[in-house]
Amino acid sequence: MAKNSTELIDAKLPAQPLFRGLRPDLVGQRLVLVVAVIGIWWLSSLSVPHYILPGPARVWDALQLIVTNGDLWNNLGITLWRVAVGFTVAALIGLPFGIVLGANRRAGEFFEPVIPVLNTVSSAIWAIFAIIWFGISNATTIFVVFMTAMPLIITNVWQGTRTVNADFIELAQVLRMPQWKVMTKIYLPTILPYFFSGARLAFGFGWRVSLVAETIGSSSGVGYRLRQAADLIRTDQVFAWTLTLVIMMAIIEMGMMKPLENYLFRWKKDAEAQ
Amino acid sequence: MNQAECTQQTSSQAAPTPPAIRLGNIDKSFTNGNQTIEVLKNVNLTVSPQAIVGLIGASGSGKSTLLNIISGIMKPDRGQVCIYGAPSEEFNDWRSVSYMFQDDRLLPWRTAIRNVEFALEADSMPKNERARRAFEALQLVELEGFEDAFPYQLSGGMRSRVALARSLVTEPRILLMDEPFSRLDAQTRMLMHEELLRIHQLKRMTVVFVTHDVAEAVLLADQVAVMSPRPGTIREVVDITPPRPRDITRPEVTSTMQRLRALI
Repeated sequence: MAKNSTELIDAKLPAQPLFRGLRPDLVGQRLVLVVAVIGIWWLSSLSVPHYILPGPARVWDALQLIVTNGDLWNNLGITLWRVAVGFTVAALIGLPFGIVLGANRRAGEFFEPVIPVLNTVSSAIWAIFAIIWFGISNATTIFVVFMTAMPLIITNVWQGTRTVNADFIELAQVLRMPQWKVMTKIYLPTILPYFFSGARLAFGFGWRVSLVAETIGSSSGVGYRLRQAADLIRTDQVFAWTLTLVIMMAIIEMGMMKPLENYLFRWKKDAEAQ
Repeated sequence: MNQAECTQQTSSQAAPTPPAIRLGNIDKSFTNGNQTIEVLKNVNLTVSPQAIVGLIGASGSGKSTLLNIISGIMKPDRGQVCIYGAPSEEFNDWRSVSYMFQDDRLLPWRTAIRNVEFALEADSMPKNERARRAFEALQLVELEGFEDAFPYQLSGGMRSRVALARSLVTEPRILLMDEPFSRLDAQTRMLMHEELLRIHQLKRMTVVFVTHDVAEAVLLADQVAVMSPRPGTIREVVDITPPRPRDITRPEVTSTMQRLRALI
C-alpha cells in the first residue's frame, strides 16, 4: 500500500454507477409540476370550445384511440426510422470530416466559412429544396434531418480535435506508437465527448425538423399525421401526437443518452456531484 | 556513422559491455524566424550500464533537449548518439528505452492500470498478458488496489507512481526522466526518490534524469553532469561518492552540493 497516508485521502474509489439514485424530494417536485400543468390545462379548457383547446380527458381518449388502432406505432416508427437514417449518415460523414478539418490546418482554413453558412440556412428551406429534389418520399425527411444534423456534428468534432493534448501525442511518440493507434487511442477518446454532445444536439434538432419536413413532404409519419389532424380540426389528436413526441424525446434523452453519457465519461471530474 | 565508431571507445577501454549511452560531439540549434539559437554545442557524455546519471544546469542549458536526443525523438544537427554500442539510427530496440515526463501525463479517460498498459500497446500483445504485466508494475510502485481508479481520483504522488509504473512496465534497460518529480510537494518528492532508488536496486536499469535541484541530483545520482548555459556543453562530470542512503545534512553530501552549485 502507499506509504503516505495523506495520499489516500484523495482517493474515492468506487466508480459512478450507470444510473444515479433518484432523489425523492426531486421526484416530488416533478410530480407537483405535472399536476399543476394538467390542472391549469383542464381549467382553461372549460371555457373554450374543444377544437381550440381540448381538455385532458378528450386528449386521453384520442391518445388511446391512436394507440389501440396501431396508428401511433406505425407513424412513430417511420418517423424515428427517418430521423435515425438521416442522423446516422450525418454522424458517419461528420465525424471523419470534423477530424480531418481539425487535424489539417489547411483544410480547416479553407472550409471554415462553410459551416456557419450551413447553420444559417433554415430547416424549412432545406425542406423546400428536398421536395423539389426528392418529391414526397422518405428521402425528403432524411435529407432535412441530415442537413440539419451534419453541421452540428462537424462543428463539435472540429472543436474536439482542437483540444487534443500535444503532450499525449508526444507520449505516444516516445512509445513509438504507430500513427493509426495515435488516432484511435488519443484522438478518438479526446473527441468522443464533443462528438457525443454534438450528436445529442443533432438528434434533438433532427427529430424536430423531421416533423416540419413530414408536414410538407410526406404521406406518413408523425408530422404528416399532425398536419392531417390539424386540417380536420381534430385538435385533440394534435395534442395526442404532440404528447407522444414529448414522451418519446424524454425517454430517449433521459433514459438512453444521459445514462450512456454518464457512463462513457465517468472519468471526468464530476462537477455536479461535488 | 557506423558501428565501429560507436564501439571504438569501449574497445580501447577493454570493457566487455559497451556503455549504455555514449554521446559524441553533439550540436543542436533551433531556428526561430531568422534567429538561430545554439542549444547544444559539442556535448560528450558516456553513461555506463546500470548507472544513475543526473543532468543539471541553469534553465536554457539544453538539458531537456539532450534527453530528447538520447531518446531518439529529436535528431542532433551533428554528432553521434550510441545506445548500447549501436548508432542511434540503427538502434531498433527503442521499446527498452523509457521516458518519464515532467508531468505525469496520464490519459484522463483511462484507469490507472489501463494507463500503465498504454505503454505496452504500441506492439500487439495478448490482452491478459498486458494486464498481468501492468498489474505487476503497479505492485512495484506500491499502488495495489488502485488499478481501477481514474487519474482524477488519485493524488499527485499516486499519479506520479502510475507514470513511473508506465515507464517501467516495458522493462526498460534505460530510463530517461525529465524533471520527473519537480511538480510534487517536497515530502512526496522525497518518497518518490526512495521509491526510485528501491526499484533501481531491483531492476538495475540505467537512469538518466534531468533536474534543476542540486539536492535531488546528489541524493539520487552516481554521477552528475553539470551543463553550462546556452550554448549547452558539459562543464564537468562529478562522481557522487557518499554511500546511500544519503542524508543532505551530512557534511560530505553538503560539500558535494556546494561544489555542484559553484559549477552551475
